[in-house]
Amino acid sequence: MVLRTGLLSGLIGAVAFASAALPSAALGEPVEIRITHSITGGSQKEVLDGIIADFEKANPEITVKQVVFDDDQYSDTGLITQLKSSTPPDIYFQWAGFPMQRDAKEGFAKDITAEMNEGGWKDTFLPSVWSPSMGTLYDGKAYLVPMTLDVTNVIWFNKKIFAEDGVKAPATWDEFMAVIKTLAEKGQTPIVVGNQELWPLGNWASHIASRVVEPAHYAAAFELKEPFNQPGFEKALTLIDDLRKAGAFNKDIAGLGADPAMSTFFQEAAAMHPIGSWLVPSANEMAEKDFDYGAFNTPLIDPANPTKDSVIGTATGFAVHAKSAHPKEAIAFLKFFTQLDNQVKWAEAGSFSPVKGAMEQAKLDDKTKQMADMLSSAGSLVPPPDTTYPVAVAESYYQAAAYVAGGEKSPKDALVWLDEHVKAMK
Amino acid sequence: MPSGNQRGTAAQKNGLGGGRPGEGAGITNLLFVIPALTLYAIFVLLPLASSLYYALTDWDGIGSPRWVGLANFSRAFSDDIHLASYVHVTLYIIGTLIFEVSFGLIMAVLLNSDRPGFALLRGLFFSPVVLSMSAAGVLWTFVFDYRTGLINGMLKGMGLSDWAQPWLSQPATALLCVMLVSGWKFAGFYMILFFAALRRIPRSLYEAATLEGAGPIRQFFSITLPLLKQNVLICGLLAVTGGFAGFDLFFTMTNGQPYNSTEVPVTWIVKMGFDSDQLGYGIALTVILTVVVSLVSLLYLRFAERSHAVEY
Amino acid sequence: MRSSIDTPRAPREWLQFGIGAAVVAGMCFPAIWMSYSALKTNREIFRKPYALPETWQWENLSKAWQDGGLGGLYLNSIIVTAAAVTLCAFAATLAAYAFARLEFPGRRALYRVFLIGLLLPPPAVAIALFTQLRDMGLLNTLWALIFANAAWTLSITLYLMTGYFRTVKREMEEAARLEGANTFQVFWSVVLPMVKPAVITTAILNTINIWNELMFALLFISDDASRTLPAGIVRFSGFHSTNYALVFAALTLTTVPIMTFYFVSQRHVIRGLTAARAE
Repeated sequence: MVLRTGLLSGLIGAVAFASAALPSAALGEPVEIRITHSITGGSQKEVLDGIIADFEKANPEITVKQVVFDDDQYSDTGLITQLKSSTPPDIYFQWAGFPMQRDAKEGFAKDITAEMNEGGWKDTFLPSVWSPSMGTLYDGKAYLVPMTLDVTNVIWFNKKIFAEDGVKAPATWDEFMAVIKTLAEKGQTPIVVGNQELWPLGNWASHIASRVVEPAHYAAAFELKEPFNQPGFEKALTLIDDLRKAGAFNKDIAGLGADPAMSTFFQEAAAMHPIGSWLVPSANEMAEKDFDYGAFNTPLIDPANPTKDSVIGTATGFAVHAKSAHPKEAIAFLKFFTQLDNQVKWAEAGSFSPVKGAMEQAKLDDKTKQMADMLSSAGSLVPPPDTTYPVAVAESYYQAAAYVAGGEKSPKDALVWLDEHVKAMK
Repeated sequence: MPSGNQRGTAAQKNGLGGGRPGEGAGITNLLFVIPALTLYAIFVLLPLASSLYYALTDWDGIGSPRWVGLANFSRAFSDDIHLASYVHVTLYIIGTLIFEVSFGLIMAVLLNSDRPGFALLRGLFFSPVVLSMSAAGVLWTFVFDYRTGLINGMLKGMGLSDWAQPWLSQPATALLCVMLVSGWKFAGFYMILFFAALRRIPRSLYEAATLEGAGPIRQFFSITLPLLKQNVLICGLLAVTGGFAGFDLFFTMTNGQPYNSTEVPVTWIVKMGFDSDQLGYGIALTVILTVVVSLVSLLYLRFAERSHAVEY
Repeated sequence: MRSSIDTPRAPREWLQFGIGAAVVAGMCFPAIWMSYSALKTNREIFRKPYALPETWQWENLSKAWQDGGLGGLYLNSIIVTAAAVTLCAFAATLAAYAFARLEFPGRRALYRVFLIGLLLPPPAVAIALFTQLRDMGLLNTLWALIFANAAWTLSITLYLMTGYFRTVKREMEEAARLEGANTFQVFWSVVLPMVKPAVITTAILNTINIWNELMFALLFISDDASRTLPAGIVRFSGFHSTNYALVFAALTLTTVPIMTFYFVSQRHVIRGLTAARAE
């Protein structure tokens, strides 16, 4: 690089790099592989710890060290710092789609097509996992070992409050609006969203938009080939505006954090909470034992839309770092992790295992089972925009949705603002 | 142009003591400055220089930078949130000047006494300064919480539940709340600085004034304030440069929300640079910030220099 | 508003004390509330926010200590702060002496270069410094924070020290020179003891600032083992954002020691600032 400070830093850098690049010790000598991710707690962490312990027992010369961050830190600085450091992790958690593509292009992720094809590893996964919309392959090559499917957004609801106020889970948007009106009249907070970071509402708003906008136009807008200011998106934002006018949202939607919002839902201070499938492990850890809740997908809006009953979700997985000093050991661990018996445990911890047969064999609680059924019976799977398209564009859309939900801008004005704002990103 | 004779005075104005010939060979004296210079050059000047380079590129932090010339800068000037962040930070600085510096000054005068008990009060007043920003941010986020926070709880308890607001979720109140917390946290710092300065004012001045019949308020404005002028100006400068760099509190309390109404230059820079992987643009924004802070500080210093502090 | 200790208190003084005490009480309430809330259960905090704990949950403190890894955080903060403050004090005092007393080429220009640092907000170079530290292989090490913090407190320290030098009389230095001492000896044996109050004051100010420094700590360190206290607390309260009792416990544990440090050193600060008058 042009501006290196010269001999001193060059020396430091060389020494650091050399020690990182040292080939793994001869067979039998202890090897440490580092895996970084953002699973901070709950039942998933327990199972992961258990699988790691089992692996270490079966392979005494390998130790697995976990480097963990919370979600936002991981995405912001945690992952990047490690990827670019001179001692990168051997395995790291990554989202399929745009992020994995970038890693492949920039040479962070190792091409594991060969390992995948070896011994039919690839076929142990559900075929739908490798479909194009999932974004798990780039240029036909594999860079990611799928580890869980996330449903990015469903609407969780408090069964007790629904029963008390005489409402049922809606199947259409009109029914949904009726439910909200009833709840609001009875003095409930119909929906709690913690939108300080913009993605909680943003994910849902994207799902709503995908149900209303034709798929081709949806993609074109996010790829900045078409303006956002078009009838489909305007309809989508108007629906959100309708929600606001009906008093659906909590007053502190703009400043509340995502986790505090979830906690509010667990404390039964609101009737519904739109968030992803990771609520289940959190509920197991944080909610009262008798907390009775369920979920329904975003209701039907436009029967003519090809993705009218889509589920919004994404695949995540583990990638092996291209510069890892111990790729063999890393692959060995990942193969162990994706073995059926371990995946059954993984499924029982509240994840959606992408491995064939795991979800069927696992003893799932009814919530997870419901999510799994939703995924397998969905007519289509739509990924959230911040994993498929450049993050800056997705976040701008999330910002526009936030403006509308808070009454700061009208749907039309928000779209005008949005187009202005993304002009610079082309 | 200052002549040789006047150089001493000019140097003194710059804060230099004025060396005298014969106090040692020039070059070996440089040795005294080498440690500071090395540290400063590597960790301050060098990144500053590379900032100027990266600001002219489009870079996502991972791949190679792509030269775009001044495109980042023209984008910055049409970036409405970026421009708004300067408005917010200016409001914040004015707010902090009012809260922290004046509050600190008033308390320094109020608690200026050798009587027992006052030292304890001063110590307690200072204590929030010692809290870390993140601690203060977390604490006050809870205090301002809409459903379960202390403030709304108190209002409801007093029968004023109509006044209970989502403090940190409304553009109208969010920035004020951050200013309030900042004031709470730093007033003690300014109080101690002023207090130390007050201590240096000779008692005799006050006693003479009392003999002449001047009351405490009069004494404050005619004796205390003018003699503290230099300290007031320095404190002001610290508040201004510190304000522009404001990050910690904003990050932990609101992170720019609601609707970017508490967005300040640094939170926006971090968002652009790290959250959206647009490092070239983020760095261009830091260059703009540096220029703005430098200009403001230089103007401030020029103004301060004209109103000389009184020597006593 | 000054009165000597001997005369009996005037009513005005009681008023002064009263108002002062009321203001201070209001100021301190949030922190006090946080400390005793740390010893409650979460449910108590939500249901009865102001009451004292029903049962004092001291175990919250030990849980917070362990879960938050506070021991490690403390150690890292201590190392970074001590090293950075020392480094800065060392470099700044030497340089301040040179700027205040010595002649050398480029003296004024160099001083101005250092003053630029006063105008620079540290975030101005955060991203570039991040990249640079990465290229230097220092990212994720405590050295990154030590050097960065020392460098960025240099300007203010140098400015204050040089200003302080200006108020120190030269006679003793001149006397030493007449006795044949060289520059360094003059600095070490004569000047340094005289500027001790300023060194101490700036060291204390720097300690507080560096101890609480958040931005560099968040950006340059991602390894749990090397994290400092402020960044660790932010992460901790992110993980456990709704377990208020635990978060408050952690915050209390991180506040008490620095409070003690402050109360102990407070007298030093005052002494340091008032010593200039006592000649």
